[in-house]
Amino acid sequence: MTLAELLPALHGLAKSEKLRAIQVLAADVAREDGEILAPSDAPYPIWSPYDAFEGAATLMRLLEQEKAA
Amino acid sequence: MSAPMPKRFGYVEADPLLGVASALPYAPIMLQMGDRKVQVSALIDSGSTLNVLPFDVGLKLGAVWDEQIVPVRLGGNMAESEARGLVLTGQIEGFEPVRLAFAWSKSNRAPVILGQTNFFIEFDVRFCRSQMFFEIAPWTRSGE
Repeated sequence: MTLAELLPALHGLAKSEKLRAIQVLAADVAREDGEILAPSDAPYPIWSPYDAFEGAATLMRLLEQEKAA
Repeated sequence: MSAPMPKRFGYVEADPLLGVASALPYAPIMLQMGDRKVQVSALIDSGSTLNVLPFDVGLKLGAVWDEQIVPVRLGGNMAESEARGLVLTGQIEGFEPVRLAFAWSKSNRAPVILGQTNFFIEFDVRFCRSQMFFEIAPWTRSGE
């Protein structure tokens, strides 16, 4: 299928579907180029409490107390 | 008694648009406190120093915030969230239940996180991200 054939169908899409089509195509291109596409303006949080050593020690104490009880 | 066979899980794509780039190791686990049980999909996070329980999941299990008196300091970008220690029973289907200690966070921003203390003390995990799967097996003492 050619772009000329596709365009009328794309123009006929609802606004939300047009946006979705743009996102899908952008992700395709980025993937083909081996790049990772960041989501538009959505937050992309990293949750890991990677340095909560004190908290981990507290949890270990909780488990030990439970075992001892 | 022979050690249980590892159980294999597929990576879950968090964002369909990003596909493989957004894939994370989530595993189903049943959490229990008293008679109450909640089935959750938990992030198996070797980079987390501890297990984290979102506020709403704790409430569903019947936990009462004011009755949990042990404060737990979180780190990373969860450092701002207040958390308290809560010990639950966790069971992955096919394995024996284990006691898991959680930092019960007052926030719902993060999913259930299973981290080094003490999920990774109870279970051995093998990540095969290139093949989009990971395996979990309970740690067994020699001779068991």
